[in-house]
Amino acid sequence: MKNKIITTALTLCMTGLMGLAQAEDRIIPSETGLSKQSVFEVPTPERFDYQGVMPGTDPVYKRAYPGAPPQIPHSIELMTPVKATVNFCLSCHGNSAELSQPLQGKPTPIPISHYTDLRNAPDKAVKELVGARYVCTQCHVPQADVAPLVKNKF
Amino acid sequence: MSITRRDFLKTSMAAAAAASVGIPLSATAKQAAAKVDEGWRWDKGVCRFCGVGCGIQIATKNDRIVATKGDPDSPVNRGINCIKGYFNGKILYGEDRLTQPLLRMKDGKFDKQGDFVPVSWDRAFDEMETQFKKTYKELGPTGVAVMGSGQYTIQEGYAAAKLMKAGFRSNNIDPNARHCMASAVAGFIQTFGIDEPAGNYEDIEHTDTMVLWGANMAEMHPILWGRIVDHRLTDKKVRIVNLSTYSNMSSDMADLEIIFKPSTDLALQNYIAREIIKRDAVDWAFVEKHCAFATGPYDIGYGMRDTDKFAFDAEKDIQAKQRTINLDADEAIGQRRKAGEQVTQANGKSAGKHWQIEFEHFKQAVEPYTLDYVAELAKGDADESLEQFKEKLQQLADYYIEDQRKVVSFWTMGFNQHQRGTWVNEQAYMNHLLLGKQATPGNGAFSLTGQPSACGTAREVGTFAHRLPADMVVMNPKHRAFSEDIWKLPAKTLNPKVGSHITKIMRDLEDGSVKWAWVQVCNPFQGTANANHWIKAAREMDNFIVVADAYPGISTKVADLVLPAAMIFEKWGAYGNAERRTQMWREQVSPPGQARSDVWQILEFSKRFKLKDVWGEQSIPGLKDAGFAPNTLPNVLDDAKQMGYSPDSTLYDVLFATKEHKQVKWPDPIAKDHANHTVKLLGDGWFVEKALFEEYAKFGRGHAHDLAPFDLYMRDDVRGLKWPVVDGKETHWRFNEKYDPYVKKGSGFEFYGKALKSIPSGDLDGVTNKEKTNLAGKAKIFFRPYAAPVEQPDADYKLWLTTGRVLEHWHSGTMTRRVPELHRAVPHAMLYMHPRDAESYGLKRKDVAWIESRRGKIKALVETHGGRNRMPRGTVFVPWFDEGVFINKLTLDATCPISKQTDFKKCAVKVYKA
Repeated sequence: MKNKIITTALTLCMTGLMGLAQAEDRIIPSETGLSKQSVFEVPTPERFDYQGVMPGTDPVYKRAYPGAPPQIPHSIELMTPVKATVNFCLSCHGNSAELSQPLQGKPTPIPISHYTDLRNAPDKAVKELVGARYVCTQCHVPQADVAPLVKNKF
Repeated sequence: MSITRRDFLKTSMAAAAAASVGIPLSATAKQAAAKVDEGWRWDKGVCRFCGVGCGIQIATKNDRIVATKGDPDSPVNRGINCIKGYFNGKILYGEDRLTQPLLRMKDGKFDKQGDFVPVSWDRAFDEMETQFKKTYKELGPTGVAVMGSGQYTIQEGYAAAKLMKAGFRSNNIDPNARHCMASAVAGFIQTFGIDEPAGNYEDIEHTDTMVLWGANMAEMHPILWGRIVDHRLTDKKVRIVNLSTYSNMSSDMADLEIIFKPSTDLALQNYIAREIIKRDAVDWAFVEKHCAFATGPYDIGYGMRDTDKFAFDAEKDIQAKQRTINLDADEAIGQRRKAGEQVTQANGKSAGKHWQIEFEHFKQAVEPYTLDYVAELAKGDADESLEQFKEKLQQLADYYIEDQRKVVSFWTMGFNQHQRGTWVNEQAYMNHLLLGKQATPGNGAFSLTGQPSACGTAREVGTFAHRLPADMVVMNPKHRAFSEDIWKLPAKTLNPKVGSHITKIMRDLEDGSVKWAWVQVCNPFQGTANANHWIKAAREMDNFIVVADAYPGISTKVADLVLPAAMIFEKWGAYGNAERRTQMWREQVSPPGQARSDVWQILEFSKRFKLKDVWGEQSIPGLKDAGFAPNTLPNVLDDAKQMGYSPDSTLYDVLFATKEHKQVKWPDPIAKDHANHTVKLLGDGWFVEKALFEEYAKFGRGHAHDLAPFDLYMRDDVRGLKWPVVDGKETHWRFNEKYDPYVKKGSGFEFYGKALKSIPSGDLDGVTNKEKTNLAGKAKIFFRPYAAPVEQPDADYKLWLTTGRVLEHWHSGTMTRRVPELHRAVPHAMLYMHPRDAESYGLKRKDVAWIESRRGKIKALVETHGGRNRMPRGTVFVPWFDEGVFINKLTLDATCPISKQTDFKKCAVKVYKA
């Protein structure tokens, strides 16, 4: 009798454990992906704001890797879009000697790579920003105050 | 003296730049720079993202990517990337990478209603095989399907196409490139008889004018935009025109912005043609020698289902227009008919047919497209004066017509994702051909490609329901015989009946005609219009859907089996970009966990099938072809035996591990010690990617699609080559005697494409002489009329919805949204609207709104400012990269009836507060 009880108890334990193990191994489809919902539901997107206010008051972001373009720590809403006739970014990040007022903080300088036209004149640096680099926002963008959707282990 | 971290970062970039510029660095800086690169291995690669095809350099250390940079030696981008391109390394490392096969199970068995359980590859293939054979037995080759991709490597696409067409004898393989470039392809074949652009990116530096037709290059082809901007800023003659249905970042650098109403591009092109004729600017020497005029039927429907059996109630009114429409006043003028006339859409199945007409007919046809008519019809911004709009149209015509002004027209999805996409593509060539401004440096209509290898793989390899490699088609018996010869197949192995295009594969899943589907390198359940139908079909119909992907997303969520796929730099591969440049790369790092390349998956799966499973007699409903019994593919096993095959040979033996392929050995010195997990896992010592490429190249060599040898593309000093590559030399401008070795000497230009060059003739209303004329060597100038979109805003759904993309995200966002820098740049797909429209619905910027069409509804955040897209009143824009803003639930699956490409750019919606 005792053995039977023990055996039954053991069997129940094993089944219980196996059940647990199986439950652990299951992945619920609607809990995967970047929107953790069933495709049949309609999520409500959350409002977000871009970080930073005035240039020169916010700390710079860490670069993703050596040579990666830096992202913009200040708001650019009043300074964009970059147009043929006006590139507002250059007024601080370009030749700042042209500005009448001293600059707050230290605008990240535009590196020599942006003054080197690797297509037409690869052996020299010029004074004017190379045309292919003119639209700054093709590589440099502000960052919103949102958490990553998933961790990136780069 | 030590060096601060900030100085260090600046130095290492400076070191790289300085090295190429010859500027001396201090000893400390040099030392610091060297330390960064210590232990890094650099190798060339290609960007994962758009059709520009930038060259990159990839740095790896300890089997991980540690950095990337724009390749200074690539003629495409010369050392620059766009923001997405700079994160080519990070896209591999999202924490929820798929690393094991997942099968829906209950009680240890496959169950469509079960949750995902991790299984071994063997178990995964077992279920795939069981389900495939069950469906194949019940429905034959038309019951199975592969949804492929313009992001397939050349080798993946080739292996998939060969397995489907030569192995399973099914033509139900179609790529997401159908949603991307099909109209462009149809435009090329109809006009030139051969696919892909004549020119190359250097046209940008050669030209005086660049006209963007519904193509937001500033966000979608950023590196080309950089080249355009550079040219514009350095040459005073250069002018940029941006034609769009809303103001965008391309407008910001343009000299002329034209905001037009959806679909009126058809009328605008005809206005220009009329002006060319009116101003006597036709280049008659060119046109008479090299062109012919043509036209076709107008009553071709809208590519929707022929029945409303599956339509939601709310969409039945639109569905009905597939059969008959009533011409509105504008259409009547443009089509020379009466307003209100009821027109049966009789030519839905013969939409592409066309015939030759005379110039007098063409002139008569464009006559109604006066400035007054077109300006009134096309003006897209309610707040712009008609007078100003008219002036802009005249300026546009001036730019095209000015005698010494070179012009390049660019377009992408605005023209291609269009219910009359083939027509509007043909019209782009129409004006360039009339002016003789085609196929010379700086002069030409340039169809831009969206995906990284829609050209190199989908189009050139032919991973379409109707195609074979090198522009051949399944319907042509000579093409099939040629392919059967290269592939060493018995005659009549290949199926002559066109299969299901990708939207039709979805419809087939819905009505049970397809019960087994394999999705590769795309996210079609997020990317196909009218999505509510397809996600329901995937989950509720009796079918088995396999999705191979690197990350979970909408498609994996509705799948029955998920396979973990290796990403771009975790496998050997090759892509072909928009300027015909084929580029290759080596495997840089190992794929994680059990993730494996799509080539490995295809080859392994092929081992599960014997010839006797697939090469017996097969039922193909609707097959009607000379030389075939109706509805039947013959048993070719006897012929196979004659060729030395055994009925028990596997498809792996017959299609892949052939005697010839096994002679291409691995290891290969070209690998330079890079790994190859595909070859290693297959374990039989042949260099899969090289062997497949060299066999594929046989199709095109000598037929104006010449590819160079594999090893030449892999050479350290080569950054891809533009085909045709003849005697080691690439071709910069096709069809032009000066540059193209295939052009007959003395002809100047020769449009040598062979397809559709033998057509009857007639007038604007139809064929009057059935005898065919031979138009060999000529390009066709098509007359196509204005046609109204099948769904337009009305009292209930007051706004136009157009969809598209943003700079920072790629396609369905599965890769870019897992890079924190890119996610933070654009966290959500926004609902871009005019501030006064928003106000009229009680909405403010950043409010949550419902957006609803006849087919579905979702929520999105309102954006009325933001410096990107500035909408005219009456039109809203939502990009499709956001899994949580599933905009394709709203879009309409109307397609161009010729190309079968979906129109994602125009349907009707209403917006209200959530």
